Amino acid sequence: MTAALAIRAAVPWWLRSNAALAGVIVLIGIVYGIGASVSDRFLTLANLLNVIEQTTDLALVSIGQTLTVLAGGIDLSVGSLISLASCLTSGLINGNPDRVVPVVIAVLLLGTLVGLVNAGLVVTLRVHPLIVTLGMGAILQGVTLLYALGPVGRVPRGFSFLAYGRIAGLPVGATLAVTLCMLIALLLRYLPLGRQVYALGDDANSARLVGLRRGRILMLVHGCSGFCCAATGLYLAARFGVGQPYTGVNYTLASITPVVLGGTVLSGGRGGVVGTLFGAFLMSLLNNLLNFMDVSKHYQLVAQALIIILAVSIYVERRRME
Amino acid sequence: MSGSAEFARPVGASWQARALLGRYGIALVLPALLGLGGVLSPAFISAGNLSNLLLQFAPLAIVAIGQSFVMIVRGLDLSVASMMATAAVVATSFSGADRDVPGIFAVTAVVAIAVGLLNGFLVTKRRVSPFLATLATMILLQGLRFAYTQGAPSGNVPPLLRVLGSAKLYGIPYNALVLLGLAVVLGIVLHRSAFGRRIFIVGGNPVTGRLFGIRSDLVTIACYLISSALAAVAGLILSGYVGLVDNWVGQGYELDSIVACVVGRVSLSGGRGSILGALTGAAVIVVIANEVLLLGVPIQAQMIIKGVVIVAAAALYSSRETSSG
Repeated sequence: MTAALAIRAAVPWWLRSNAALAGVIVLIGIVYGIGASVSDRFLTLANLLNVIEQTTDLALVSIGQTLTVLAGGIDLSVGSLISLASCLTSGLINGNPDRVVPVVIAVLLLGTLVGLVNAGLVVTLRVHPLIVTLGMGAILQGVTLLYALGPVGRVPRGFSFLAYGRIAGLPVGATLAVTLCMLIALLLRYLPLGRQVYALGDDANSARLVGLRRGRILMLVHGCSGFCCAATGLYLAARFGVGQPYTGVNYTLASITPVVLGGTVLSGGRGGVVGTLFGAFLMSLLNNLLNFMDVSKHYQLVAQALIIILAVSIYVERRRME
Repeated sequence: MSGSAEFARPVGASWQARALLGRYGIALVLPALLGLGGVLSPAFISAGNLSNLLLQFAPLAIVAIGQSFVMIVRGLDLSVASMMATAAVVATSFSGADRDVPGIFAVTAVVAIAVGLLNGFLVTKRRVSPFLATLATMILLQGLRFAYTQGAPSGNVPPLLRVLGSAKLYGIPYNALVLLGLAVVLGIVLHRSAFGRRIFIVGGNPVTGRLFGIRSDLVTIACYLISSALAAVAGLILSGYVGLVDNWVGQGYELDSIVACVVGRVSLSGGRGSILGALTGAAVIVVIANEVLLLGVPIQAQMIIKGVVIVAAAALYSSRETSSG
């Protein structure tokens, strides 16, 4: 007991309040350490930018997912919504540069709307978000397949700038994702509604008793999640040049990993989007390292699972000390 | 979610007509669905189709029973589908002859026990949220499976497993008999044994459980063990039904089994549920899928219908328990 207290006293306060974030950064450091000994190309700026570019899609979805998790819920419709957004983007634009702007706006609005509907269903039907968004996921996948059974449409050449373009050496998509993340972080910190997200996630009953409007908070988090999914769909359409009806399938569960690695507690109320950004970066970096080490795709899954188990176990140990 | 746990209704009141309807209303949905199927298409209520329904029902029902154990102790098991596929890969990893069946059972049992222990350990000893712990196990199993098969599993399912998975005895599939046996045994365990009562106490209120001197960690671990063991059985049966193997046998069963439980009034927040409920929920899912298929509805509409049914069923049957949320 005294030993634990002594250890605790030795840890600086900023590390104690951001333990998970510190943990992710340590893990990133370890991956870099291993990477440096594997290949001298791993530590180059070009490779760093490359990894950042590859993180964009996962980071975008996970930022939205973080919000729903913070509020004590979850969004399992993200995968289908991404597929739908990517199909609509390339299908509606269909190679016509004049349509890019209206379609992008329409897709982002549609994603937000789907999120709002999710929130509305959770509140009015009084069903757990897990079930509502699971059902919504099935519905959206069906709608996507109604629209297109295979790859559909194409995006104009210039649109791929979103995925592969560089401004002043920085990847465009990733820069936008980081900007979005910072905006949401500020919103969570300084907007009353943002802080209420934490209150609701921490203790729904107390939040209700002090008069917080659960509906509004859920609309904010699910709306943001829907927006992020739409943005991911746009990004994927730009990356592949075409929308595919199953392009988002894997993101549903994959989006949870960075959230948790970044220190957001799945039961809600603790964490933040910045940690998620680092969590997503860690996942991409790990895959990048395993690619450098010529590890087959199959073992990459094993490594991914072990990282998750390791990270959450360490984090929980720390929480218990408090 | 909040008030209902502390102020549970007295036992006597639950026998009022409305409470009965709320509690067993789902059992009325099933006959209604079957009747609807008969009206829509005469082929639906033919003995042959009903027997096929049973055949498809058994694997999902077996997984749903395991899922209900985990859900009652406030958990969730997302690794069941991955466990099923792993069992299926094990089933085809031997020579494909009947003499290997004991070996298959042994290896599958070892894997299932390891998975259940890992899930239970992470959830109880490391306090990892069940969603995440079982998600990690799911990915881990998937990775190991892919690494072992190099992405392209091959081999044959032994004839004995094929019999178990797809053959029928006087029109009753063998797998339904397996299900019946498991349901009866586990029904007694859950609803008629001291251990079962401990499961409900731990799930309903862990603090009470601790005050009673129940070792809640052991109870929870046991539930995860039951879940992965049942998923393994379902995987072997399904591999016998499919006849060949890929890395995705059982895909979607993790979510389907959770939906089956929710439809069958197993509470997502723990402490409430029954084997009969899980079975009914699984039956509703299988019957709806079959009816949609018989109607010749395209795959897209099937998914939309499924989504609507999931949300609607949960809204109908779980509204009371989350009424304060």
